[in-house]
Amino acid sequence: MKINRVKTLAVKEWREILRDRLFLSLAFVVPISMMLVFGYGIKMDVENIPFAILDQDRSAMSRDYLHQFIDSRYFDYKGDVANEDEIGHLIAGSKIRFAIIVPPKFQETLLSGRPIAVQSLIDGTFPFRTSTSKGYVAAINNAFNAQLLTAYISQKMGVTAEQSAAFMSPIKIQLRYLYNQEVKSIWSIAPAMMMFILLVTPPFLTALGVVREKESGSIYNIYSSTVTRGEFLTGKLFPYVAISCINVVFLWLMAIFAFGAPFKGDPVFFFIASVIYVTCTTGIGLLVSLFAKTQVSAMMLTVVVTIVPAVLYSGLLVPIASMDAASQFEAHLFPAMYYTDIALGSFLKGIGMEELWTRVAALLLYTIILWLVSYNLFHKRVKA
Amino acid sequence: MRLLARITEGKSYHWWVRMVAMTAKELLQLGRDTVLVCAVLYLFTLDIMMAGGVKMDLNQGAVVVHDSDHSMASRELIYRFQPPYFKLSGEILNEKEGIRLLDQGEALVVLDIPPKFQHDILQGKPTAVQVQVEASNTVLGTLAASYSAQIIGQYGFDVALQRMGLTGEGLETVPMLDDRHRVWYNPNQEDAWFMSISELLTVITILAMMLPAAAAVREKERGTIEQLLVSPLTPMQIMLSKVISMTLVILIGTAVSVGFVLYGFFEIPIKGSLPLFFLVTALYTFAMSGLGLFISTISRNLAQAAMLVIMIMMPIILLSGAWTPPEAMPDGIRQAMYLSPLYYYIEMAYGILLKGAGLAVLWDSLLGLTLLGSVMFMFGVGRFKRQFE
Repeated sequence: MKINRVKTLAVKEWREILRDRLFLSLAFVVPISMMLVFGYGIKMDVENIPFAILDQDRSAMSRDYLHQFIDSRYFDYKGDVANEDEIGHLIAGSKIRFAIIVPPKFQETLLSGRPIAVQSLIDGTFPFRTSTSKGYVAAINNAFNAQLLTAYISQKMGVTAEQSAAFMSPIKIQLRYLYNQEVKSIWSIAPAMMMFILLVTPPFLTALGVVREKESGSIYNIYSSTVTRGEFLTGKLFPYVAISCINVVFLWLMAIFAFGAPFKGDPVFFFIASVIYVTCTTGIGLLVSLFAKTQVSAMMLTVVVTIVPAVLYSGLLVPIASMDAASQFEAHLFPAMYYTDIALGSFLKGIGMEELWTRVAALLLYTIILWLVSYNLFHKRVKA
Repeated sequence: MRLLARITEGKSYHWWVRMVAMTAKELLQLGRDTVLVCAVLYLFTLDIMMAGGVKMDLNQGAVVVHDSDHSMASRELIYRFQPPYFKLSGEILNEKEGIRLLDQGEALVVLDIPPKFQHDILQGKPTAVQVQVEASNTVLGTLAASYSAQIIGQYGFDVALQRMGLTGEGLETVPMLDDRHRVWYNPNQEDAWFMSISELLTVITILAMMLPAAAAVREKERGTIEQLLVSPLTPMQIMLSKVISMTLVILIGTAVSVGFVLYGFFEIPIKGSLPLFFLVTALYTFAMSGLGLFISTISRNLAQAAMLVIMIMMPIILLSGAWTPPEAMPDGIRQAMYLSPLYYYIEMAYGILLKGAGLAVLWDSLLGLTLLGSVMFMFGVGRFKRQFE
């Protein structure tokens, strides 16, 4: 491999990129704008759930109980309904996500010291939201139950309200959130977004860059030249890896300064790991470009191998730990997961090479395999 | 015969013949690109199956225990951390070990039970259990924290009731709310139902933008647009044929997906009217292809078009409620969502497929999509036509 030829090829490619102004600006604008949109836009918290009330008792106690829902920041009160049919209509039209029904004789039954069932009707289309809503309803019901029982016990056993409250909850919970004490979701989204953007954009740049030569026919110049396969691949892809490395720095700075995510780890380690990661994702683009003959199919193939796994198997929306065995296995086949660990580890946990070397090794291995496979699939001789 | 002759001589007849010929050409061109056909087929089948296997909720989060009491009570509490949410993955002897496991991501929750836990409980003295949660992923962290709090709270409650001698039938004489849920449309809360439909809508969105944009830019990049310009085709025909052929491909893909994956594989009971669903899908594809055509007018080659498509598509997908709850969005973005055709399409797709809703309920979403879609489509068409002048 002659450095001179690699350099010439890299310069040629770089010039081509420079002259395509729109492409060049998009290569930097797309990652940054994605970071901005997602950083300010993604919220996984289930809040402001729209709900309605069917109060069949209309007593002081039922109003008191329902106010716990109306005042909660997790719920968004949309009004009272007159009957169950109306609830069905509202849920079907997605105007509300759940409804709570207080039965007749609610106050009377409770005051006479008997239990009563309260029903909630929940929209099940979004199971994650459904189970979270259920959890909130249960929490409010438990708090109300504790109130009822405290009053009941202090009355029955003749103790003060404080004593009976202590009696009702004998075990206190000291909850500590590690690495992100205030549970700011942006702290975990910003590093995860770096993973996502650096997985999606480099393959697009690369695959289209290589297939463009194939489709326009200019690749025949390479086929007929003295340039070897290795030289071509290295020279051609160097500018794309370089662009992505610059993006790594931009995104890193944005994560810290625009979104206020703390960076507790070692910047040098993180940068090196990131360079390996973008080399790897650039390699994905290279491999795609070898299979695709047209830019359209290169584009679609890139979508298939990057966006889908980046959303589903990276830990961005769905934690890897909570997947079933088959999905976990698939997640291990994509590089995204390893880099998510590295990014979150470096940003929030402040851990480095010592704890994360297995992830770096996995990425490195992934990169080497990708590049070796691509090297072997790339032929200067056109198959008949 | 004369009538036929008059028809074949008519202007509109030729217009339609050319339309059909161009549409057939687009389909043929797409069909010959094997890699592209495979990618589209994959997206509509295997990809959706894979997405259906993913669960959003906390599933068997690893709990390690530091038990300084080793009593009946502590064991009873520990054994309440069970699947589906948690699984016990061992006991540790000191706190450092816990931190190491949390650092490595091998444990999600470290449960610390103090000495004299059982003694304090039996004596009626207040005691505290420490729960450390790995919150580098906040979604997982908050879920783990709230489920742990529920488990421990319930345990404390049971202990208190036991001390009062209130178990089983005794509970009938206590004023308490009995929390009952009824979950509609997906009673067993199968994640696969939601995930697979969501993924299908995502795939449709991606293809509806990318395919027309690519088909239009390719002609420009290769120079074949010059041939089309000297042909008797009007710009409208060139463009419509691309949109119609790609919409056709997407509708066929959707039919395969709904029939084999959603209904066949995941056994989702499809409640609403399928013709309505396909009508809405066609409308949505038209709207998104307007965006695709717009992109094709401002880009000179496919690389530019691809980057622009990603830039516009990702926010649309992530911020329309396909994967994240729309109600929780910050204010500005929640308003911007009404400008996303996907938002209305999601409403209608779930409404028709899972809820069995009809036009009586969905008319406002349909109106929104139609208005927004026609504006977007006209905009794309306008731009596309203008580049020929």
